[in-house]
Amino acid sequence: MTSLARWALVALGALGLVTFPYWSGPWESSRFATTVIRDALVLAIFALSLDLLVGRAGMPSLGHAAFFGAGAYAAGIAGQRLATDQLPVTLGAAAAVAALLALVIGVLVVRSEGIFFLMLTLALAQIVFAIAFQWTAVTGGSNGLSGVGRPMLATLDFSAPDLMYVLVAGTFVLTALVLWGLGRSPFGRALMGVRENERRMRALGYDTTRLRLSAFVIAGTMAGVAGALSAYSTRFVSAQDAGLGNSVRAFVTVLVGGAGTLAGPMAGAGLVSVIERVVPSLLPPDLRIAEAILGIVFIVFVLFARQGLVGLGVARYASLRARRR
Amino acid sequence: MSLEQIFQQALNGLSFGALLFILASGLSLVFGMMDVVNLAHGAFYMLGAYIALSVVQVSGSFWLAMLAAPLVLGVLGFALEPFLLRRLRGRHLDQVLLTIGVSLVIVDLIGQLWGREVRSLSAPGGLDGSIALIGGVYPVYRLFVIAFGVALAVVMGVVYRRTKIGMLIRAGVQDAEMLGALGVDTNRLFALTFATGAALAGLAGVVAAPVFGIQPGMDTDPGLLYSLVVVVVGGLGTLSGAVAGSVLVGPADTFGKVLFQDVALAVIFAIVALVLLLKPTGLLGRIRVAR
Amino acid sequence: MIEIRDLRRAFGGVVALDGVSLVVAEGERRAVIGPNGAGKTTLINVLTGEVPPTGGSVRLAGRDITRLRPWQRARLGLAHVYQRAELFAPLDARENVALAVAGRRSPYRVFRAPPRSEYDEANTILDRVGLAGREGVAARALSHGERRQLELAVALAQRPRVLLLDEPTAGMSPLETARITDLVAGLDRTLTIVIVEHDMDVVFRLADRVTVLHEGRVIADGTAADVRGDARVHDVYLGKAVTVA
Repeated sequence: MTSLARWALVALGALGLVTFPYWSGPWESSRFATTVIRDALVLAIFALSLDLLVGRAGMPSLGHAAFFGAGAYAAGIAGQRLATDQLPVTLGAAAAVAALLALVIGVLVVRSEGIFFLMLTLALAQIVFAIAFQWTAVTGGSNGLSGVGRPMLATLDFSAPDLMYVLVAGTFVLTALVLWGLGRSPFGRALMGVRENERRMRALGYDTTRLRLSAFVIAGTMAGVAGALSAYSTRFVSAQDAGLGNSVRAFVTVLVGGAGTLAGPMAGAGLVSVIERVVPSLLPPDLRIAEAILGIVFIVFVLFARQGLVGLGVARYASLRARRR
Repeated sequence: MSLEQIFQQALNGLSFGALLFILASGLSLVFGMMDVVNLAHGAFYMLGAYIALSVVQVSGSFWLAMLAAPLVLGVLGFALEPFLLRRLRGRHLDQVLLTIGVSLVIVDLIGQLWGREVRSLSAPGGLDGSIALIGGVYPVYRLFVIAFGVALAVVMGVVYRRTKIGMLIRAGVQDAEMLGALGVDTNRLFALTFATGAALAGLAGVVAAPVFGIQPGMDTDPGLLYSLVVVVVGGLGTLSGAVAGSVLVGPADTFGKVLFQDVALAVIFAIVALVLLLKPTGLLGRIRVAR
Repeated sequence: MIEIRDLRRAFGGVVALDGVSLVVAEGERRAVIGPNGAGKTTLINVLTGEVPPTGGSVRLAGRDITRLRPWQRARLGLAHVYQRAELFAPLDARENVALAVAGRRSPYRVFRAPPRSEYDEANTILDRVGLAGREGVAARALSHGERRQLELAVALAQRPRVLLLDEPTAGMSPLETARITDLVAGLDRTLTIVIVEHDMDVVFRLADRVTVLHEGRVIADGTAADVRGDARVHDVYLGKAVTVA
């Protein structure tokens, strides 16, 4: 397939995705599928941002939800405190707060690697969560922040379900594009070098600490945007948005889908959403073990399919091609 | 704050520190030996508390629970290690990821089996009163916790330094591969270590229950969060690190909550940040940070 | 070019470098030899900045670099070929070299793909070290000798002023050794080279001057001929296995 044809296909797919509510109307009047896909896309954006760290730069962060939560809270709080609903303001606040938090935490964690890095990100993010949980005056504490404003762009009200979906899907396509570009840029290549052999990169003249910090801040900012979108769609921010469970969820999504690829986090988001949404409806109502099932699926992947769904797909494709020769 | 109040809070801080030690020592031990940060440690802690709940419900004896919970957790740890972790020998990051999965499963199953409401466990009879202390009254149980924590630390220290198994563990912490090359059955040793870590977490769950209650979310707060903070601050992989971390974090957190209330955890953040900036391996840590 | 003054490095109780001083002129080929444990690798590691000295100073082209990090020294023109190949295993040879080429510039270019010129230059360098035709092979799939060639290519891609080679011919067959030796001999004369070696044939072929280390101290420093006749050097090597290919 030529490059142009491939691009055309991707563009078509993206267009179809963004306009989903409009062409699915006839068989989707309850808007259930729209909501499910919308939430899956928010997860996908979150997971894509984490993959920049985990997959690209080799920085396994288990505290990524801190930025998701920070963005969510910032969007809500900015809207309320500044008495505005304008999207540029609230989304901008979300990105700025998330970026700042990522810078602060990043400076502390970026000099460590591997398991130690994982633990540090986990511990620091948990502290952010605890602050969100206890700072009732600002964040609403354990009750969460309700009444998140409608995202408006001038007079365009994005809180209508169809438009909210478009906002999310559009952001998703944009995020994927940005990450695609980043991946093939010298910056992305340098991150990959840091992942493969940091010692060597240093010997080649790369300031690896600064590179990792940059990746950390970019990833954190994107996560903040995802958090803001989540706040807009549910009109509510819970402290759990910044909690370990959310960080784990994103990590599971990335790994199960396939770290280091663009399609991986997307596939992972799809699978996780299916498990979380569909499985409970298949089980008797008093058997609520969707999380346990997710945990088992995760364990299976870590043990037997470390490269995730995309990895499995690639391996399958390669063996099929080999057999054909 | 009056002098009596300060004294009371100091005792609170110490009892919290003692609990933290029981909790964090297991995490530190497993890491020191196997280079694995058991992220299911909080889930083990939680399971210990819920098991204690059931044991007390059935038998009425807190002391029995204190025996049973670590035992069950120990068996669980002993069974889990070969089943899951051994396959991933050498892939430390993947082992850590695996423990995440285990944590998800355990926590969800706890909710399914025991329900998701807040529960409580009262201190055992005999320890549930208060005694008069410097101007006020103070719960006896918390004093017991301090004493128990200290005693456990002493016992662990003795075992660690003066027994054969302690020597094996110390050697394993230094260089497990070498130990294997010398003919020691490292598989058994690892399984035993992991089981001990789990048992300690379970024990912490029981001992902490009358003080901190039993509820969903306890696997992360206080469970995993505080164990991690303690070992990050005190130093990963060493017993003395766990002690140092607990002694620092316990009182700091307690006073922080009293003085700063809502943003008490910012105090912890500040301590963690300070330690990380000054000494990334923690105060008495063993592992090295990339430079 | 390189000025090392009274360099000291101790690891706990073990003294690896005990007051090493030496001066390497620009364009010079200097070999550092000595029995195992003499401190040769420590010297290299202190030069690259991976190990900080406990005393003494290092100057590069007159500039004090003792406190600089490895990446800063690399940017000042210091390139290092590791004793054990440190490559990007899953990437192909061309990518490995391209990363080195790109290292000369800022990595914060995000708006377009890496320029063709980087890959073209990588191909050229690979050709020069004798790896033409192997550009697309993953680093981990290369033979031991080829990996050393790739290491050299990566170092050269940095356009260094100083090249540090840490036992470049270790574990090589005579054919591979000869190939590497020829390559190094054919390098531009403006490049200052410091080689740590055990293979005396290589040393005498390549080196202008030789420095002999023993137990962290310099015990001889002169031309290859001088050192060959030095009695102390003979004493130090007597009874010790010197790897000669």
